[in-house]
Amino acid sequence: MRLFKAFKMALLGIWSNKFRVLLSIFGVVIGVFAVIALSAISLGVKDTVMKQMGGLGAEQIMVMPGRVLKDEGGAHNFLSGVSGTPSTLTNTDAEEIGKLESVKSVTPMLETVGRIQYDNGNGEPTTVEGMLVGTSESYQEVLHTTLEEGRFFTNDEGANKNRVVVLGSGIHASLLNQKQELPETDPAQQAVPKKAWWQKLLDRLTGSSVSAAEAPAEGESLVGKEVTIQGESFTVIGVLESEATLGMTSDNSILMPVQTALEVTSTENLTSIYVKADSIDNLAQAEKDVHGAVGINHPETDFSTVKQTEMLDAIDTVTRILQVMLIGITTTALVISGAGIMNVMVMSVRERTREIGIRKALGASTIEILFQFLFETILLCLAGGIIGLLLGYGFVTWWNESITIFPLVLPMWVVQLALGSSILIGIVCGVYPAIKAARLQPSRALRFE
Amino acid sequence: MIRLSNISKSYRSAAGRESVLEGLDFELDEGEYVAIMGASGTGKSTLMNILGTLERPNGGEYIFRDKKVHRMGNGKLTLLRNEEIGFVFQNYQLIPNLSVYQNVLLPLSYQRKWQSKKRARVKRALAMVGLEGKLKAKPHQLSGGQKQRVAIARAIVNEPSLLLADEPTGSLDEKTTESILEIFDELHQRGVTIILITHDPEVAKRAERILYLKGGQIKEQAYETVQSL
Repeated sequence: MRLFKAFKMALLGIWSNKFRVLLSIFGVVIGVFAVIALSAISLGVKDTVMKQMGGLGAEQIMVMPGRVLKDEGGAHNFLSGVSGTPSTLTNTDAEEIGKLESVKSVTPMLETVGRIQYDNGNGEPTTVEGMLVGTSESYQEVLHTTLEEGRFFTNDEGANKNRVVVLGSGIHASLLNQKQELPETDPAQQAVPKKAWWQKLLDRLTGSSVSAAEAPAEGESLVGKEVTIQGESFTVIGVLESEATLGMTSDNSILMPVQTALEVTSTENLTSIYVKADSIDNLAQAEKDVHGAVGINHPETDFSTVKQTEMLDAIDTVTRILQVMLIGITTTALVISGAGIMNVMVMSVRERTREIGIRKALGASTIEILFQFLFETILLCLAGGIIGLLLGYGFVTWWNESITIFPLVLPMWVVQLALGSSILIGIVCGVYPAIKAARLQPSRALRFE
Repeated sequence: MIRLSNISKSYRSAAGRESVLEGLDFELDEGEYVAIMGASGTGKSTLMNILGTLERPNGGEYIFRDKKVHRMGNGKLTLLRNEEIGFVFQNYQLIPNLSVYQNVLLPLSYQRKWQSKKRARVKRALAMVGLEGKLKAKPHQLSGGQKQRVAIARAIVNEPSLLLADEPTGSLDEKTTESILEIFDELHQRGVTIILITHDPEVAKRAERILYLKGGQIKEQAYETVQSL
C-alpha cells in the first residue's frame, strides 16, 4: 500500500517535471537504442552468414589453399590463422576428387576480377568490371542460385572449353543500362522510382543491388547475345536472379566453365574447391579421402580441407567475439547514461529539498520518500528504455523494409535485455539519490534556500 | 492536551554550542487558541518544530494527548504529525509543480488508514478558505493571500487536533491578514487547537492567550504588556 503510494507520488513527480525528465532520459534512450541496433546488426550478420554457409550443406567440405592451423585438440582453428601461400590447387585436383567413392559432387572455383564488354551497335561498347568465376555445373546446387532466364552451362561445354557465360543480375543490368537511353520525358512521368542517397550509397558499397534507375527495361535481355571477355567473344546463355544479400552474392559474377576460365585468364590454379560428401555419416572419411587425393599432387601439404561444420563453428566464434565486444560497448554507453541519470537525480533531490521537507512535515515516512525517488529513477530509466526500444524497433523495421543487404534480427531476449538493463540502471543509480532524499531532516529541509 | 516539561534545545555553531530553549515548561488545553511571541532568534520556530515533531528536543518531556512524544521513534512521530498536526508556514511551503488540489491532497495521500472521498474532503477544505474554484491552479498563479489560504486548507484537510501556524501573516498585507485571521477564528470556533507564532501584537491579540518567549523560557503576557515589549 505504501509502495503503491510512493509509486503514485513518483509518477506525479515525473509528470510535474516533464522537461527535466526528457533531458535526463536522453542518455538511456541512446544507450538502449544502441543495444537494440547493434545487437540486431550483429545477430543479422551472424544469421545471414550462418544461413549462407549452412545453406551449402552440412556434408560440404572445402578445399582451400594454405594451411589452417590446428589447435591442441586437432581441430582447425581459424582464429589462430592461415599460413598464407598462393594457391596451387588445380583442376586436376578437382578431377581426382571427383573420382572418389565417398564424394557426391565437386565444384571447382576460380575467382578473379575481370572485365566484360558489350557492344549493342549504337556507339561506344559498354565495359563493366565484375568477378570472373570459373566453375562447373554443380555451382547452382552448391551456391543455391537460380536462373532468371536462359540456362546454365553443362559439364560437356566445360570439357569442350566453350565460350559461354552466365551473368549475375547486376552485371547484366549494368551492361544494358549504361547504353540505355531513357526517353526524354517529364521525370514525374517516368515509371522509375528514384532512390534515396543512402540507398544509392549502400548499393555502391555492397554492389548487391542495381538501382531502379539502372534497371533494364522489361523484356530486354542479353541472353543469346555476344559479349567480350579478355578479348574473346562469349555467348550469354543465362542470367542469374538477383540475390541482394550480404557476403557471397553472385550479382556481380560472370560465370563460365572452369576449363574456359583457366584458358582465358591464363592461370593454372583454382581459388578453392567445394566438395560434397555422399552422406553426412561419411563426412569424416570423405574429408580424409579428399585430403589424400589432393595430397598426392601436393606432398608439401600447402592446402587445407575444412568441413562445413568447422566453418560454421569458426563463424559462430567470430560473431560471439563481436557480440561480446558490442555488449561491452553498449554496457559502457548504458553505464555512462546511468551516471547521467544519477547526477540528474542528485541535482533533483537538492533542487527539491524543500519539497521533501514539506512532504515529511505532512506525514511522508522515510521509506515513502526513499521509494518515491527510487521509483522516479526507475520509471525515468524505463521510459528511456521504452523510447530507445521503440526507436530501435523502428530502425530495425526501416532497415528490413528499405535495405536489402541483409535482414536485421531482433529476438525477444534482446528486448528483454534492453528493458531489464534500463530497470537495473534505474535501481542502481536511483538508490543513492533516494537515500539522500530520505535521510533529510524535515526542519532543515524546510529552511533550505 | 499538550504538556512540555523542562524542554531544552541547543545547536552547534562556530562559536560552540548555542542554547535556544532552556528548561521550557508549557501547557495547552484542548481547543485553546494561543499566540507565541518573541524577538527574532529567541527560538519561536524551534519551539514550533518541537511541537510539530519536526525536531527532537535535547532534553525534557513532551506529552501530546497522553502520548509520550519524546520517546517515540521516527515512524510514530511521522504518524502523529500526519494524523494530529496541521502546519501553516510563513512562506506557504506549497509544492510549485503541483496544482492546488494536489497540494491540499498531500496529507491525505500519506495517511496510513484508507480514506474514502478524498476529493470531497479536499474540496470541503478549499471551500472553507474560499478557494473552491482554484482546484487546477498552480501556486505561481495565485496571490500571496490565496497561497496562504491553500496552505491552511492543506493544514486542515486531515482534520487535525492541533494547528501550528508560524508567522502565517508575516508576508501579507493588512486586508489579507484580516481574511486569514478570520479563517483561524472560524477554525477555533470549530474546536481546533491553534498555536500561532507571530511577532505582531495585533495578530497575537486574536488569540485567547499570549505567551512570550525570552531567554529560552516562556511566560504568559497580557496584550497591553506585549505591546510595550
